[in-house]
Amino acid sequence: MNTHHDIPNPEDISIEDREDAMSGYLMMFASIGAGIPLPVINLIAGIIYFYISRNKSPFVRFHATQAVLSQLPTSLLNAGLIFWLIRIFFFDYELNDYFKIYAVIVGFLNISYFGFSIWAAVQARKGRMYYFLFIGKFSLGYAFKNRG
Amino acid sequence: MILEIKFQENYSRGQLLLRSFFGWLYIVIPHIFLLMFLQIWSSILTFIAFWSILFTGRYPKSFFDFQVKLLRWNMRVNARIYNLSDGYPKFGLNAVDPNIILEVPYPEKLSRIMVLVKLLFGIFYVLIPHMIVLMFVSLAANFLLIANWFIILFTGKSDLSFHTFLVGTLRWSTKINLYMGFMTDTYPPFRISPLPEEVIPGLTTSEYNQNEYTS
Repeated sequence: MNTHHDIPNPEDISIEDREDAMSGYLMMFASIGAGIPLPVINLIAGIIYFYISRNKSPFVRFHATQAVLSQLPTSLLNAGLIFWLIRIFFFDYELNDYFKIYAVIVGFLNISYFGFSIWAAVQARKGRMYYFLFIGKFSLGYAFKNRG
Repeated sequence: MILEIKFQENYSRGQLLLRSFFGWLYIVIPHIFLLMFLQIWSSILTFIAFWSILFTGRYPKSFFDFQVKLLRWNMRVNARIYNLSDGYPKFGLNAVDPNIILEVPYPEKLSRIMVLVKLLFGIFYVLIPHMIVLMFVSLAANFLLIANWFIILFTGKSDLSFHTFLVGTLRWSTKINLYMGFMTDTYPPFRISPLPEEVIPGLTTSEYNQNEYTS
């Protein structure tokens, strides 16, 4: 028995699966949709979506896994930024250089994350695999593992 | 869209009183608590569906199915609040209630322009005109609700015309929700009764409406 499922051809993937795969990445807009502007909402939505998708096809599972894992670093960094900002606002009253550098880095990472996620969503909608650095391989191994 | 709530031959007076005095405690609070979270999820899915329709012209099928299931759950609770159906509304998205029929056809293609029009101008050409009319309709529905309450209390039966009007009010508002939620491109009609193609033969309330068309 194969330990892993074969990667499907794009034309063999149903439109429903493509849409479900694409939607995983779009969970990064969840906080706007929910009207609660907290970055953690995106992560929670991503995790819920990942959980919902666990019984779907390996293709959907792969994209849902990759989408939620790719959210982790930016969500943590964004949470750090907000925490730091609150500290400055209530205690320090001064925007120091460390904070400015951190804010610029987080901003840059967010823009990168946004760009890559949109690109991955487009690829998923086309029925293609798209691998993020590091997590792509892990997601592939997890999602395509044959569970018997 | 098809929405029908089965007209019962007899209604339980005991359940009516129980619902009226303690319904908020054992029906509304537990259901609303769960529905509140699902409503947040529904808002997220609607937001994502908006972008999906804008770029692909399709409402993701799994999202659509979720929204319909959520509507059914809401309708199960509403049917009890409006005293249109006896029994306790089932929990869960996959629960089935034989007394309530709510079917929403999945649109294979939705207009990308209309999704923008709905978002930007929906409030002007859908919400405001419909809400003005529905305000009066709801006022009438509330009077009928009270009248129907007494009818059930004294006779153990409901009035078919009242029942049809109350179901019609729910159908009307559901159609507005579907349109504003990007789930259909069909503009909600200003009417209580269902459209001819939405009538289910053999169902008492539907036949009542059908008679209205034929007479």
